[in-house]
Amino acid sequence: MSTRGFSLAALPVARVPGVAIVLVVLCAGFGVTSPGFATPANIANILTQSTILLLLALPMTVIIMTEGLDLSIGAVLTFASIVLAVTVIATGSPTLAFLAALGVGLCFGLGNGVLIAVFDIPPFITTLGTLGIAQGLSLLVTDGQSVVGIPRSIEQIYSGTAAGIPFPIIIAALAYFITHALLYHTRFGTYVFALGGNREALRVAGISVRGMLIRVYVFGGLMAGFAALLMTARLNSAHPTAGIGMEFDAIAAVAVGGTSFERGNGWLLGTLLGVIAVGVLRNGLNLLAVPSSVQVACIGALVIVALFIDGMRAER
Amino acid sequence: MKYLAISVTAVLTALFSGPAFADGETIAVFTKNQTNPYFQAVRVGTETAAKALGVKVIQYVPTKPDSIPEQLSQVEDVIVKKPNAIVFIPVDYKALVPAVEKINAAGIPVTNITDRSAGGNFVAFVGADDYSIGLSVARRLLKAIGGKGNVIILEGVKGSLTSTNRVRGFNDAMKENPDVKLLASQPANFQRLNALQVMENLMQSFPSIDGVLAANDPMAVGAIEALEGANRKALVIGINGSKEAVELIKSGKLLASGDFNGFIQGCIGTEIAVRNLHKQPTPKEVMLKPIVIDKTNFTPYEMPVEQRACPTLEQIVSN
Amino acid sequence: MNTAARTAVRSRFTLSRDVMQAFYRLLGVVLLCAMLATLSDVFLTTNNILNVLRQSALLFLMASGLTLVILTAGLDLSIGANVALSACLAASVIKITGSPLLGVATGIGCGAVIGLANGILVTALRIPSFIATYGMMWMLTGVTYYYMAGETIHGFPPEFRQLGSGYLLGVPMPVYVMVLFLLIGGLFAQRTVWGQQIYAIGANPVTARLSGVPVERRLVLVYAVSGAMAGLASLIILARINSAQGDIGEDLTLPAIAAVLVGGTSLFGGSGTVAGTLIGALILTLVLNGMNLLQINSSWQPLVTGVIVLLAVWIDTRARRIGE
Repeated sequence: MSTRGFSLAALPVARVPGVAIVLVVLCAGFGVTSPGFATPANIANILTQSTILLLLALPMTVIIMTEGLDLSIGAVLTFASIVLAVTVIATGSPTLAFLAALGVGLCFGLGNGVLIAVFDIPPFITTLGTLGIAQGLSLLVTDGQSVVGIPRSIEQIYSGTAAGIPFPIIIAALAYFITHALLYHTRFGTYVFALGGNREALRVAGISVRGMLIRVYVFGGLMAGFAALLMTARLNSAHPTAGIGMEFDAIAAVAVGGTSFERGNGWLLGTLLGVIAVGVLRNGLNLLAVPSSVQVACIGALVIVALFIDGMRAER
Repeated sequence: MKYLAISVTAVLTALFSGPAFADGETIAVFTKNQTNPYFQAVRVGTETAAKALGVKVIQYVPTKPDSIPEQLSQVEDVIVKKPNAIVFIPVDYKALVPAVEKINAAGIPVTNITDRSAGGNFVAFVGADDYSIGLSVARRLLKAIGGKGNVIILEGVKGSLTSTNRVRGFNDAMKENPDVKLLASQPANFQRLNALQVMENLMQSFPSIDGVLAANDPMAVGAIEALEGANRKALVIGINGSKEAVELIKSGKLLASGDFNGFIQGCIGTEIAVRNLHKQPTPKEVMLKPIVIDKTNFTPYEMPVEQRACPTLEQIVSN
Repeated sequence: MNTAARTAVRSRFTLSRDVMQAFYRLLGVVLLCAMLATLSDVFLTTNNILNVLRQSALLFLMASGLTLVILTAGLDLSIGANVALSACLAASVIKITGSPLLGVATGIGCGAVIGLANGILVTALRIPSFIATYGMMWMLTGVTYYYMAGETIHGFPPEFRQLGSGYLLGVPMPVYVMVLFLLIGGLFAQRTVWGQQIYAIGANPVTARLSGVPVERRLVLVYAVSGAMAGLASLIILARINSAQGDIGEDLTLPAIAAVLVGGTSLFGGSGTVAGTLIGALILTLVLNGMNLLQINSSWQPLVTGVIVLLAVWIDTRARRIGE
């Protein structure tokens, strides 16, 4: 069986995406069995609900391409959203609050990068440690309570629309294009690919591997800070458990999308499809009123099936 | 006199106009997670009531336990399906306010049970007063230890409204007994294993413990296991009235458990939702009375929830 | 020198380096104990030491099988969900048949079958272990939730409960189980051909395959063992808390992974010991125990644990650098 090619320049060679197949099957299935699924309102819902995860999955793609991992990104998102909420309530300035959130992301990104690149601690452990630190800070600052009393202007960021398109979708699209440009059209991106497949080439070319690694994790931290804005706007509050587990969801979406953990192959569009596939699955199952326990099992099945398809094709 | 007349009229109206049989109406029920037996009892309550009233309920539970963003997403998805009514337990009483506002904006009537939401418009609130339950059951224990001794409090999940209010009840009961000393107040996340380990650690620091006030039954059971394992004795109380607690009360290992009745809340919440759909009068708030289950009155609680019949609104209100 | 001998020499070299690492870590444990003993006068009491040992035993049992998986440069994220399903099934069997023995067999058997499934996903279906076990975790959780339907199963026969809460010669039973598997695991990893092959697979799967190691079969084995150990851990939890619920073991996966990594096993495979994992489990348990004894606000726990994990691995990385 020949591999069908796509003409997208970014596509990893000889890899027909399992995620695309899965997405099409899911959409077709739900469209047929569930009358409310294929409506504009519902589709807008799915896309809007997927935006925060996408903002985490985009930098995660880049990080995984460098043979790394960022387990702290969910906890950093949570802590950044708490800092944002506290700042906006204390100062009344959404701009200041947003900068504060970005600042949190920057600090943790730097911390991760330095521990990984300079202190040589493996990314899994580093980010596991910083996960604990971020989570701990979230609990300490809030004492387990939600932070409420946030001005409506923040909430508008999630619920507002421009030309009929919800803001979050516009923001997520922006983030996607920025990451795409970064990865495929800048030298930074070329170096990222090299970090994953061929670090020697970088050293020979005189590029600081350490510097690159730090930048990659800082990118992750900043995106988490950025996503904190959407999260706080969505909840109209901040809660220390808000982002729990999102890092694993992001990693799963990236893997489902076709980015490999080992060879530094990255496919950003695949990540986007992966995030949407998960969103479609959850939404479709909710519309069909499938019992929650079965939903849980389906999510696991989705992940395995998508990678199974990829694994089978890679062999040919 | 007029007040009495009005209330009698209200009761009579309620008595003689039971909820009319609905045809094919759907009620969406939201609970916090799939593993806490309390929420299972709520779900069973809603389904038992639904069967009796001829409506259909659909359960929505987050796949990640207690996940705020996920419950938000589920609300958004459910609004698309336009159920006739919603019965709602918010994962977090503050963070889910935007979700309730979305439900209000969609024009779907919603009844709030268990955790009182910090905002939004509801048909009614059905709940139990965590504070009163905590107070009553703590008083029972403090009386049993003769009003003096050393006591430990096991809190629930930090920041949860339930835990905060119950522990407040515990503390107020302790204030009434000045000879009782509070050794420590530690959270154990409403979980059994947690409580066991916390208790074991506390027993190291405190050689003499007379009573344990646990904010829910699983933690009470964990504390009992820890005490038994160390061959120590103390009186323990919990809250929930779960099957296991009732068995332990029967065997004397647990002193008492506060009846925080998820089953009834589910029943009444559903009944109110249906009544509201049929433009029948509904109370704005139903607070279940704090009942302490102990050796004298545990028998009715031995029946598993699946086999129980829903009490009607009249029965509860007139109590 | 043929490949087998070369592999043997390499693993002996690894062994002595691992021994050095274990020594450093043991030092860490001793220091930690000394610090806690000065800060809290109840730390060094018999009861507390036994408590710490019993709590580490549980963590160790979960992490011991996982060590083998990580030695092959893999990961098993499903152990927590494995514990939940195995515990619930074992609990049902005990209730229905009244036989603790059947329950034990069910628990370990269920765990092993799950592990086997993981192994097949990783070897036959070529799915990376991170994702395969992540997907498995969700599926297991779904099955458990469906099966338990929000209920709990409680009340087990006293003979069974001995496993978790019983004492023998004044020492808690789980500690004996821990020592038993420390010996079994350590001997297996260091002294059997299969164990050496596992190290070889982690160090360099291509070379290992070329020197005749049946890589797929060994990989399936390590995942099955990891699953079986999770099943065993679930039995101890059952015996301790005398009940089964759908969310048992949820919070045990990441600490188990942390215990393995703090114990010196490298995520890249090929180096690490089961004994190191025991020390890792001890360190993590001591930290929590200390915070409880010192009545430190529980909100500090994730933060302190995170810092300790980072510190431990950093020290290890430096020591490794010096050793090379």
